[in-house]
Amino acid sequence: MQKKKIVAMLLAGGQGSRLNSLTKDLAKPAVPFGGKYRIIDFPLSNCTNSGINTVGVLTQYQPLILNSYIGIGSAWDLDRKDGGVTVLPPYAASTEMKWYTGTASAIYQNLNYLHQYNPEYVLILSGDHIYKMNYELMLDHHIEKGADVTISVIPVPWEEANRFGILNTDEELRVIEFDEKPKEPKSNLASMGIYIFNWKVLEEYLEVDNDNSGSSHDFGKDILPLMLKDQKNLFAYPFKGYWKDVGTVQSLWEANMDLLDSSSELNLLDQSWRIYSVNPNQPPQYISKDATLTDSLVNEGCTIEGTVTRTVVFQGVSIERESVVTESVIMPDAVIGKGCIIEKAIISSGIKVPDGLVIRPKNNGEILLVSKETLEEMAIH
Amino acid sequence: MKKRLLGVIDATTYAEDLKDLTLHRSVAAIPFGGRYRLIDFILSNMVNSGIESVGIFPKYPFRSLMDHLGSGKNWDLNRKRDGLFFFPFSSDDKPNFGMNSFEHFAANIDFLNRSTQEYCLISDANTIFNMDFNPLLEWHMEQGCDISEVRRDGAPLNIFLVKTSLLLELIDSRDKTGNYCMRDVVTDIDSPYQVCYYPYEGFAVTVDSIDQYYFASMEILKPTIWGQLFLKERAILTKVKDEPPTHYSKSASVHNSMIANGASIEGIVENSIIARGVKIAKGAIVRNSIIMQKTQIGENSILDHVIVDKDVKVESGITLIGTKDAPKILQKGSIIKGACVNS
Repeated sequence: MQKKKIVAMLLAGGQGSRLNSLTKDLAKPAVPFGGKYRIIDFPLSNCTNSGINTVGVLTQYQPLILNSYIGIGSAWDLDRKDGGVTVLPPYAASTEMKWYTGTASAIYQNLNYLHQYNPEYVLILSGDHIYKMNYELMLDHHIEKGADVTISVIPVPWEEANRFGILNTDEELRVIEFDEKPKEPKSNLASMGIYIFNWKVLEEYLEVDNDNSGSSHDFGKDILPLMLKDQKNLFAYPFKGYWKDVGTVQSLWEANMDLLDSSSELNLLDQSWRIYSVNPNQPPQYISKDATLTDSLVNEGCTIEGTVTRTVVFQGVSIERESVVTESVIMPDAVIGKGCIIEKAIISSGIKVPDGLVIRPKNNGEILLVSKETLEEMAIH
Repeated sequence: MKKRLLGVIDATTYAEDLKDLTLHRSVAAIPFGGRYRLIDFILSNMVNSGIESVGIFPKYPFRSLMDHLGSGKNWDLNRKRDGLFFFPFSSDDKPNFGMNSFEHFAANIDFLNRSTQEYCLISDANTIFNMDFNPLLEWHMEQGCDISEVRRDGAPLNIFLVKTSLLLELIDSRDKTGNYCMRDVVTDIDSPYQVCYYPYEGFAVTVDSIDQYYFASMEILKPTIWGQLFLKERAILTKVKDEPPTHYSKSASVHNSMIANGASIEGIVENSIIARGVKIAKGAIVRNSIIMQKTQIGENSILDHVIVDKDVKVESGITLIGTKDAPKILQKGSIIKGACVNS
């Protein structure tokens, strides 16, 4: 097997419990986004566009849809003879069952995958974020700085800094402190959960961490603080551009609304940095003579007969006559019946909203997540 | 029904009346319905009917057709066994019209000789329809016909079903009988074969003129028609493009139109078909028109009854008016500047 310069490990096992019913039967990276995509399309497309063609995808929680979506990786051009995408589920070894208990344990348990490529560098990614990033530039930065590990960072608002892993750096971007969710942050540079390790250093620290029974086997909590203590070379890589954690119903909705802004930095029309996905191959959208459709994104296979404003509509959706849909996200194959009013809502995949239903949040700023169960409850009351 | 039918697509059709759309492509590769090419309909119908081996006999120029079909992956025809076969004609002394069909088949006779399928479905590539061929095969066997021809309202759709062995015989005897294509065979009064006509009742339009092209395009805007053509369980497949969803701006106004992905609509669109990656600027009005891939319509331009081919740039403030019977056609890659107003 050809030696690889860099191999990516994409942590896609997360439950995403703050997305409530959206992740009941679905791993968070498989949650639909942007009218056409799933969250994992962003890191996978970034890999392809950055020239990284060997990607291990670590799955654990509700992997069925995610695994079949990834397939052999052809949607992202990752069906390669040598390398390509490999789904890495937890497995039973001769001595024990090995569930992934933390981000570091997930990588530790797949050291054999990395051994077979024996790369120079390992890129650790998570499947929770919407962003476009050239990992090749980050690698250049890593090499230039002579780092053992490089952590991609982005400035966050000071008042939110206590929710993130915060890095304090010197002028050379050398990390001098790493505070996981600090009460009094000294900086607003937050870790994006994207790391480039020198492979040998990663291997060494994963072994050490695995032997430490007190460890939670997490990169942010255990591995990075230990490396800092050992005076390894930790550097920050400042990222500029759109980056959003879509871990909550609110933030998922916001990120969808961001796409409606034509000046959005997440320009999906950019041919030079395509976001690839499994194309549904459905007919063009049909906009009826009575429809009003403005300030929205609509995907293939939709039929729009109602009034739709500031809404992201996924493939195969029908919005029937006299319905008014505003500031919402309609996930694949949902049907909005006649004369409905829907405001500030996320309508889950495949559900049928009955004629005349009004869906509107009670409180200002609230976003309603509507699932099959929500509709059943509404029918009772 | 598995593997009993072999698909043969005769993509050599040439229609003088379509020449404005076929300067750079064959009839089979004419874009249709915002994201398809004409060949997608017959090819998808074959695949959806369980056909796993399809031979395509194209006509020059076939670059765009080859690019479109690729390995056949989008139709699930990139197979180890069977799959998609592409047979450009091998004679270069007849570059414009190529060979007749049987001569073309004969030049690639190994494809037919090696096929294990007992029956063969032979079709042209320019009919827009969604048909399951399994009932046709059942019917053909029940009737005990030698050749079944599919017709709609008595008009031929240039789709024939024969035993593969009979097709080989017909090809072999072409110089003796003077029959050089399936149409010749079924219209030959001396033919010893029993020909049956299978009535097809669904929507079907054979595109052999601009009139028919425009008519079929406007027909698919009727929900009853697109409901027949674009079935979830028998989807018309095409080359996928990874285009993002279409963006409608605050100033967009769209009525009775089909719009493909990756478009950006800021103007008014009515009774039109808009293909992938098209941009319609603010204040532009597009009515009763067909706009093909990646074309840009500038601000405040007005288009009515116009067929605009791929990669055309209509600059701002231009008015182009055709009629239902004679839609205006803008050729691929053209740039329409102010001087052309009302021309």
